[in-house]
This record gives sequence, C-alpha cells and structure tokens, in this order.
Amino acid sequence: MAGSTLVNDGQRHSVAELEDLAFELRSKLLYLCGTYEGAVHIGGDLSVADILTALYHYELNVDPKNIANPARDRFILSKGHAAVCMYIAMAMRGFFEFDDIVNTYGQLDSAFGMHPCKVQLAGVEASTGSLGHGLPIGVGMAKSARQRNESHRVFVLMGDGETGEGSVWEGAMAARSSELGNLVAIIDRNRQLMTSHAEERVALEPYPDKWAAFGWNVIMADGHDMASLVSALDALPPSSSNRPTVIICETIKGKGVDFMERNLAWHAGSLGQEDLAKAMASLESTRASKGSK
Amino acid sequence: MPVTFTFGEWFSARTIIGQTLADLGEEYPNLWTVTPDIGMTLVEFREKFPDRFIDVGLAEQAAVGVAAGLAYEGNIPVVSGMLPFLSMRTVEQIRSDVCYPNLPVKIIGTHGGLVGNGGSTHYAVEDLSLMCSLTNMTVTSIGDPLMVGEILRQSMKMTGPIYIRLGVGKSDQAIYEPGTHDIKIGKGIVAREGSDVTLFAHGTTVAQALEAADALEKDGHSVRVVDMFTLKPIDADLIEKCAKETGGRFVVVEDHLAYGGLASRIADVVVDRGIHLTAFERLGIPQVFAGFGSDEELRDKHGYGLSATVAATQRVIAAKG
Repeated sequence: MAGSTLVNDGQRHSVAELEDLAFELRSKLLYLCGTYEGAVHIGGDLSVADILTALYHYELNVDPKNIANPARDRFILSKGHAAVCMYIAMAMRGFFEFDDIVNTYGQLDSAFGMHPCKVQLAGVEASTGSLGHGLPIGVGMAKSARQRNESHRVFVLMGDGETGEGSVWEGAMAARSSELGNLVAIIDRNRQLMTSHAEERVALEPYPDKWAAFGWNVIMADGHDMASLVSALDALPPSSSNRPTVIICETIKGKGVDFMERNLAWHAGSLGQEDLAKAMASLESTRASKGSK
Repeated sequence: MPVTFTFGEWFSARTIIGQTLADLGEEYPNLWTVTPDIGMTLVEFREKFPDRFIDVGLAEQAAVGVAAGLAYEGNIPVVSGMLPFLSMRTVEQIRSDVCYPNLPVKIIGTHGGLVGNGGSTHYAVEDLSLMCSLTNMTVTSIGDPLMVGEILRQSMKMTGPIYIRLGVGKSDQAIYEPGTHDIKIGKGIVAREGSDVTLFAHGTTVAQALEAADALEKDGHSVRVVDMFTLKPIDADLIEKCAKETGGRFVVVEDHLAYGGLASRIADVVVDRGIHLTAFERLGIPQVFAGFGSDEELRDKHGYGLSATVAATQRVIAAKG
C-alpha cells in the first residue's frame, strides 16, 4: 500500500464501486460542460476520468481534512487543462463541494479556473497549465521526500501529446539519475493532440520504448478499465525502490460520449442544453451496454 | 569559515558564493543547491551536503522545475548556472513554476553583460529586462564580490524568488569596506558622495563608474555614484533624492541593453513621480549582437566604457538647466 502514516482504507473502493464513481464523475463533468457558458476541455477531461477516479478513490493517500499532512501522496496534474476533472474528483473525495465548482467555475475571483492554481485553491499541489512543467516539479518533490526519509509517492499525470515537450524528458532523465522509485508518471495515452491524431504529425511511437530507454519501469494499462488501472497501481514497486515508474494508460479522448470520442472538434467545447441531454443519454447507454456484456 | 578580506583586493565572487552556501547549508537544513552542469562553485556545498545537491546536467528547464518542486515542499533551493541560459531558456519555468506560486527559489549566475568573450550566445544582455517583468521577482545585479555573500544571506529570509546577477565572477575588486555601507535588498547604495551629477550603475559597471568619478574629480566635478544593485523593487525614493541633490542630472551606465534595464527602470520612476531632470543620458549595449573581444574592448566598442562614461558625465554636467 502506498504511504503508511495516513489511513486510506476507507477510500480503497472495489472495482465496481470505482466504476460507479467514474460514471458519477463523468456525469458531473457533462453537467458543468452543459451549464458553464465558456469552453471546457471536455475531451481530455473524459480521457482521464477513470484515471482520476482510480487515483482519488483507490490509490492516493490524502486527507481532505488535513491537506498539508506531510505523509500524504502528492499528485500533480501536469496536463493542467483537465483541471475541471480534477476539481470534481477532489470534490467527490471530500476536498470541497461540487456546488462550489458549479457555482463559481471560471468566474471573477473563483478558486476554480481553467488551469489549477495552488495559491488560489488549497489542496492543489502545484500550479500547472503550461505543458511539460509537472514532471520536473515532481522530481523536486520526490527528491525532497527522499532526503527526509518520507515514504509517500509523487504522482504526475501527463497527456501523451504533452510529452512532446523537451522538459518532460529532462525531468525523466533527472528522475532516473536520482533513482526516484517514489515518483510515478501516469500517461493519458489518448493518441490525440489538439489539432491532430497521434502519429499523423508527431511520431510518438515506439512510445513505451521511449520511457524504457530513459531507464523507467514501464507498466501498461487500459485507462478505461478499472480492473486494469487498479492492477497497474497495485503493481507499483515500493516507493523505496530505485527506478521511477510510468503507467501508460491507453485511453480515448472524449470517452463515454459517442459523438465526442476521438473527435478533434471536442478537444474543448461547450454543451448546450440539447447537446447535454444527448451526451448524458450516450453516457447512460455506454454504461448500460457495459453492464450487460 | 568566515571570509576575511581587505578593501580593494580582488576576489572570486564564485568562491564567495561557494563558501557562503556551504556556511548557509549548516544554518538552513532545508537549503538545497541545484545546477545544470555549472557546479564548480558548489563543490564545498556538495561535499558537505551531498543529499541536498542536484546536478541535472544540461537541462536548465528541469533545474528550475526541480527547484520549484523542492520549494513547494518547504525547501530553499538555490539554482546556480550561467545566466544567458538560466534566464532565457527557463523564463517560462521561472514565471509559471516559481513566480506564479511565489516560491523562495534563488537564481544566481554569471555572465551578465558582455563578459567572458563567449560571443552573443553566451552574454546575458536581456536578462534584467526579462526578470524585471516577472511578478513577485526581486532582481539584483552585484558588482562587489564580497556583497554577493551578504545578498545570499539576506535572500534566505525572503518568501519569494530572487534573481542574482554577476559578471564573470572570477576576479572582481572589492568595492565596499566592510561595515561602511548599509547593504539591503531594495535599497540603492550611495557608493560615493557628490553634488553635481548622479552616476547610476549596477554590477560590473559600478567599479567603472567610481573610476569615472575619480577622473572627473580632478577637473573639479563632484560626482555621486549610486550602486542600484536592486533593479526590482527599485529604490524610487533614492532616485528622487538624487534628482534633488544633484541638480536633476543623471547618467546611467550598465552592462545590459540600454533599453529595458536600469536606465528604463529609473526613467519609469522619473515619469511616474513627475521628477524634473535637467539632463539624462543612458549608456549600455545597443540593439546589436556584440561580437567577440575582451570585456573592456566590447564596452568601448559599444559606447559604455570608461571614456564614454566620463564624456557622457561631462555633457550632463555641462547641460543648461
């Protein structure tokens, strides 16, 4: 089990419970996307909905009642444009109320904006948004933990497109050089950038080999299969080990809403009332078909 | 080990930095040093505190990102490197990872200005302009090698980031006799009293400004020299005071682009406060890629060397009020 000082047992939900929580997270995402006037990065939110559910309701040793507990696991949303999804996952974990997000998102002086800010929202570990920044920050946090003999882990969630940034690989080298087995990168491998599909313009493959070549321990997972995510997280080596791990999660941008899936038009957008109803219906039917198989 | 010195002696600022950090490492168990392969000054620190030293190799962006991560955890990271790269390649990391959450990351480095004969890839000439534009950033440029230690020491108490600029830092003359000047981040130092004109400088041009003032004294001119080593926040009160006390006559000389550095900072204060000046001249690097040559040759070539400083100061003194 990750960490040791915090008690996380109550949050280690079963796979079936996690699936329900992920459905609830997606429903809330769509609701916000349908009620907020501006654009929401709904495509990349939906691709990490299961990952964030698994993190906040299974893996992360965090305490919403004591957010600064030094023994907590650190989570950095390096793909900061999925902030809404993280906010909702955090709300469902008890950090704040979902209504706090809905009522203020994107408004003047709100703590909840398009990209997360640690200064404005307690519980966020790092201010992010510009891509490629999270991994080096995570390296610094993991180094600090090592020096203090703390056993928590540092998780950094990145998009696969984000890993085009050179600073990611600077961080990857630094993590290996410092033998940070307490650092875990999670890749949302949705195979889409904002304006193209992966491999169309940017050659990311051989993707797992790239991480392996940088000396990382590579775990593959289906980012929309809760059992697969849970087993990947369970397979993490002890935080005292000397190699950082990357969990490459195969995902689908827009997952759960048929007209958004793998659709470049839904990198970001806003749902009107009519589309919200359609999106919800699609989400329901995806769940129903999954339940019947 | 405390540093011992004599006024006027030549010192390596890099050695002072190394010794100071090694000392501060004892005092501050949360002090770290981070470098992108420019760790010569950090040998002593590294040997004393190997678990608080990180060399990320040639990866400046990672150096600053790692420092931000350390600072998020309550540590005080000092990032040490060469400023042409540390100020430009990482400017977004400095803004978004360090300044945005206002973390106590200290960025210190060498090669500010046309120094070291490395060519235009290796001269930091835009750095002060870039750093001064960043919210939460304190910006300094140090000429006196002994002062670097004091500034580092003071920076430990700061809750936000600071940028500390040096020239080559291998051999510089001590300017201030210890105890004779009040050195405080945010306050300019009157390095020499005078009443006809104020000569503002920072970093490596402070010694040159003092030399120019000495030369002009022989002609009967009383030249005040202000070491405006903190560019941000700028000591606006001192600027106003100097305008009043030296007949509204200002000369600024700096080893940085003439527009965007100290002269621009002073001009902003002059305009914002409605200060009346009789004459104002700025000497610095024009908008050119400077080429090769010794530090002195380059200053002369680009019009901000000693003779140009003397000539400009004479013009400003002679200007009709």
